Amino acid sequence: MTSRIAKKRGEWINRDKPLTFEYEGQQVQGYEGDTISSALWANGIRVLGRSFKYHRARGLLSFANHDVNALMTDGEDTNIRADVWPVSNGMQLAAVNTEGGVLKDKNKYIDHLSPFLPVGFYYKTFYKPKRLFPFWEDKIRKAAGLGKVNFNYPRIIKPKRYAHCDVLIIGAGAAGLSAAINAAAEGFNVILVDENRQAGGSLSYDHAGEQAAADTLNTLLEAVEAEKNIRLITDAYAGGYYGDHLVPIVEKSGITKVRAQTVIVAAGVFEQPPVFRYNDLPGVMLGSATQRLVHRYAVKPFDKGVVVTANDHGYRTALDLASVGTEVVAVIDMRADGASQELTQKVKDKGIAVHKGSCIYEAVPTKGKLGVKEVVVCPYNETTAEADTSRSVRLVCDGVAMSAGWAPAGALLYQAGTKMRYDNDLEQFVPGELPEGVFAAGKVNGVFDLKARLQDGRRAAGEAMNYLGKAVSVDTVKPVSMARPSHPYPIVNHPKGKNFVDFDEDIQVKDFINAAKEGFDNIELMKRFTTVGMGPSQGKHSNMNAIRILARIRQLPVEKIGTTTARPFFHPTPIGHLGGRGFHPHRYTAMHQWHVDNGGEMMDAGIWLRPAFYAPQGSGLTASEAVQQETLAVRNAVGMIDGSTLGKIEVFGPDAAAFLERFYTGKFVDQKVGGSRIAMLLDEAGVMVDDGVAVRMADEQFYVSTNSSNAATVYREMQRNVQLWGMQVTLVNLTGAMAAMTVAGPESRSVVATLTDIDVSAEAMPDGAFRSGQVAGVDARVMRVSFVADLAFEIHVPYKAGLHVWKSLIEAGQSAGIRPFGTDAQRLLRLEMGHHLVSHDTDGLTNPFEAHSDSLVKMDKPFFIGKRSLQILAKKPLGKKLTTFVLEPGFNGELPQECNLVIDAGNNITGRVTSISFSRHLNRHIGFAFVPPEQSSAGSGFQIRTDSGAMVAATACEAPFFHLLESKGE
Amino acid sequence: MQDAVLMSPVAFAHALRKPVSGEVNGMETALSFAAADVEATRNETLSICDVSNLNRFGVKGPQSAAWLQAAGVTLPEGTNSWTPQDNGSLVMRLGNSEFLVEDQPENSLCQTLNDTAVETAGVHKVIRNDAAFIVSGKLTSALFSEVCEIDLEGGALEDNRLVMTVIAGVSATMLKQSLNNQPVYRIWCDGTFGPYLWKTLLGIIEEQGGGPVGFNFYYEIN
Repeated sequence: MTSRIAKKRGEWINRDKPLTFEYEGQQVQGYEGDTISSALWANGIRVLGRSFKYHRARGLLSFANHDVNALMTDGEDTNIRADVWPVSNGMQLAAVNTEGGVLKDKNKYIDHLSPFLPVGFYYKTFYKPKRLFPFWEDKIRKAAGLGKVNFNYPRIIKPKRYAHCDVLIIGAGAAGLSAAINAAAEGFNVILVDENRQAGGSLSYDHAGEQAAADTLNTLLEAVEAEKNIRLITDAYAGGYYGDHLVPIVEKSGITKVRAQTVIVAAGVFEQPPVFRYNDLPGVMLGSATQRLVHRYAVKPFDKGVVVTANDHGYRTALDLASVGTEVVAVIDMRADGASQELTQKVKDKGIAVHKGSCIYEAVPTKGKLGVKEVVVCPYNETTAEADTSRSVRLVCDGVAMSAGWAPAGALLYQAGTKMRYDNDLEQFVPGELPEGVFAAGKVNGVFDLKARLQDGRRAAGEAMNYLGKAVSVDTVKPVSMARPSHPYPIVNHPKGKNFVDFDEDIQVKDFINAAKEGFDNIELMKRFTTVGMGPSQGKHSNMNAIRILARIRQLPVEKIGTTTARPFFHPTPIGHLGGRGFHPHRYTAMHQWHVDNGGEMMDAGIWLRPAFYAPQGSGLTASEAVQQETLAVRNAVGMIDGSTLGKIEVFGPDAAAFLERFYTGKFVDQKVGGSRIAMLLDEAGVMVDDGVAVRMADEQFYVSTNSSNAATVYREMQRNVQLWGMQVTLVNLTGAMAAMTVAGPESRSVVATLTDIDVSAEAMPDGAFRSGQVAGVDARVMRVSFVADLAFEIHVPYKAGLHVWKSLIEAGQSAGIRPFGTDAQRLLRLEMGHHLVSHDTDGLTNPFEAHSDSLVKMDKPFFIGKRSLQILAKKPLGKKLTTFVLEPGFNGELPQECNLVIDAGNNITGRVTSISFSRHLNRHIGFAFVPPEQSSAGSGFQIRTDSGAMVAATACEAPFFHLLESKGE
Repeated sequence: MQDAVLMSPVAFAHALRKPVSGEVNGMETALSFAAADVEATRNETLSICDVSNLNRFGVKGPQSAAWLQAAGVTLPEGTNSWTPQDNGSLVMRLGNSEFLVEDQPENSLCQTLNDTAVETAGVHKVIRNDAAFIVSGKLTSALFSEVCEIDLEGGALEDNRLVMTVIAGVSATMLKQSLNNQPVYRIWCDGTFGPYLWKTLLGIIEEQGGGPVGFNFYYEIN
């Protein structure tokens, strides 16, 4: 059986390229250019899927990218929209959300259970008894969703691109094409986007059995093609509107982010279905869907059908159907007055009966509810929405075309901030007040007549050009007297229900009534309770009817009900598109490759890559062994760490010292050239946010380090405060320009001394000293910093010479047993030294009084950031204190982890562990923890609860921890 | 100093491609990645070249403009613009009081400026570590449309303007110039991001049918 008709003018299929594919195990013929749905329909296949909730058979509905009951899988991809996805040779397709095939779906029995599954039932069931919840959860999770996610889906990079234009026009229908041609003719650079594979909008299918629309379309397309200023993008949708006219255009190949000077929304309207019992059967579809089938794909929607309508569009549909030989039994017009005499006569001239003031009370299904065999037609009362069943007639048919009105495709207008108003003449929301630089044209603007739409496009282009500064005259679009395009309430009540409003979620009229009865009578609440508009079509065919139903329930005008929020993305967009190529910048130190070549286990440290430890190939070292060995190398001989990630900022100028005094908690004005001081930064609340070292290189020059992860933040904050305080300071961020390495351990002095002209002796270069000189022939800045060991030299050199200096030091240290050490050993080394890490041992609330950093705070200064908060905090008792602790000697139980809690005798939480590690050097477990102040002094005991609940005894202890060795006589 | 003390920040990202290397300005440099005709073909489509080895001089501070002028350097008039010197060196004005000078291989303005002691208050030398690239070819628009939000076809780089923008997530300075009678884009970024940016741009460039070219493609010095 084939429904393919003779070649149509302007059809989108290529009959020279036949294709074969498989659907549910059946071989199907199609043509290049066919969508899956059009090819299936042409082959007489009517059941394209099953509904989400009740597993009812479904066919075509909109044929406009919203047929969410016709979703397919090809085994790799899923939820393929059959109504728009092109067929290709050899495809093997099956409908999603079925068990046992689309025709014999085992879950179709759920349709019979529908009385027991009212709207919101899952909010009220399954949670009692509690022990059964996992059972129900499993069932619900299996039932939820449509297609099955393919976890082996290949990563196909979908690039995200940027594009720019003067005028972005969304929608290439009559109004959009007209706007584009007019704007481009004035020299403006236009991007014109359309969701369909070809431009033209309704001009490509809404012909009413005549050729005029097709002629108009040809003329417009020729003009577009001849205009070099227009870039036409088809098969793409505008996903959303973001500030400053940024609109992502989603194509199959990826997203293009268009930054436009101005935007014209000419996106048209979505056809809305009338609501009657069994309006979801395969063969019942929107009028525009039948027109698309006919004119774009040359497919007859059905052989003998009826048209049910509540506007004039149904008559146009009937004429299009008749033009391809469909027997149209009747036009059933829900309006008491029907259409104009002229239009009615045109239809009657085709031998089509017209029933005014009538409705379809219900469609009667074929066996298995796989199609429609007749409709029950009754007189219809528009006021009560009731059918007079006493005067029903039955019309035999195999299909129904439905036209009840339109909803604006206004999502982008809403997102742009347009104030929409409800036009009672049109029975449609239209733009009331548009934001600056955004314009609307065509049907979305409430203009339906073709000539008027062309004019409206010209008008919008003119206004856009004026906005862009080009003075052009702007036509006024005169209103055209025409029948109301949308019906105010195209609903037919039925005591047995199954009169569907939302085809995504199987929501019936009674569901709204019940929701309102339960108090969900606000459109946003009703949306969430009933889930109307929350399916994959996002309410494009259902929201307007839902609003009308709610308005009637509450006896309010539609504008008082309002609309739900249409958030980007306007249409479900694949995650791969949103992710794009995925740019994840990493910073590399100059010694990166050396680390990798020497067994460095590289890890992300913020944006940097750093070696956590070194386990050279063949060494057989575990991570723990490597860390302990690296630590011991520093304690017993010498080790070296790549510290290039430290933030490094130069502060110049006559106010440099004064600036640092205001910025940090310490004093710097009296700091000597060649010396260093701790630089601790607070925020305004007195919370510790960073610490580093400030070196005075000259009277008006400081070199300040920050924590690796804070460099950019501290630099920005410095810049801000320089401006704020109006100080004569110049800042230079050298974080990426300087490589840094720390040589630490008792042998470090001798290693460094072999390569430098600086006198690094204890007398000449005491702890905290800074010297400039050369190391390995490279200009260097050298500091004595005792963060990881009492004797350590921090060497800073230009990045491009970093590897050379590093390798030279490694070579020079060979005889002393130098070992590179990573960040894990660094953490243990500083722990042994009793140095906390800001942001690791402290949190977003910790002040210096709690972290034994009082000595770094010079409260006698007139001002520093956070001082005022500290003055307040100083008057309050401390709630917690950071303390160093040890576990019992020889502890071998379950080791507490960072963030394990400190618990008191009353089982109350009184603190937490912030750092803990085993030190082979000390042969003890040591750590930092927040504890109550009374437990922070050395010798105080407290209990830590491990992950399993075991309690571990800990004792507060003086730091550095090296006295533990002395107590053992080591 | 020893030979090849200096390394391009991008050096290890080059290594897998086994370029012919040599030393330029004391820095180990990828001189070529393929035969000349192959590189020429790449360049016609889309190519990237690492020129991090070019000498640079950075200076910042309220008196830096006057100091540079006193040193005989011609300055761009406005911020975010650049001007070539008679000898080919580029002078970029990155802000009101911040400048970056870059030499061509054959000249030594930067060396001279680097060797000059600054005695003037309000002038501060800035240690630079730039990863610097030349990107050219007929598909540059396709590349930049994917990595950079700025409309490069809309005149943002005309009239010797430069832009500070984000390229593939990395802050970068960018300008367009004519080099060997060919329009090229110049990009500078913090050298620590250099390997990432090189690999990211090169990945896209190769998808587009282009590839890397060595330093000798633009500067025949070895």
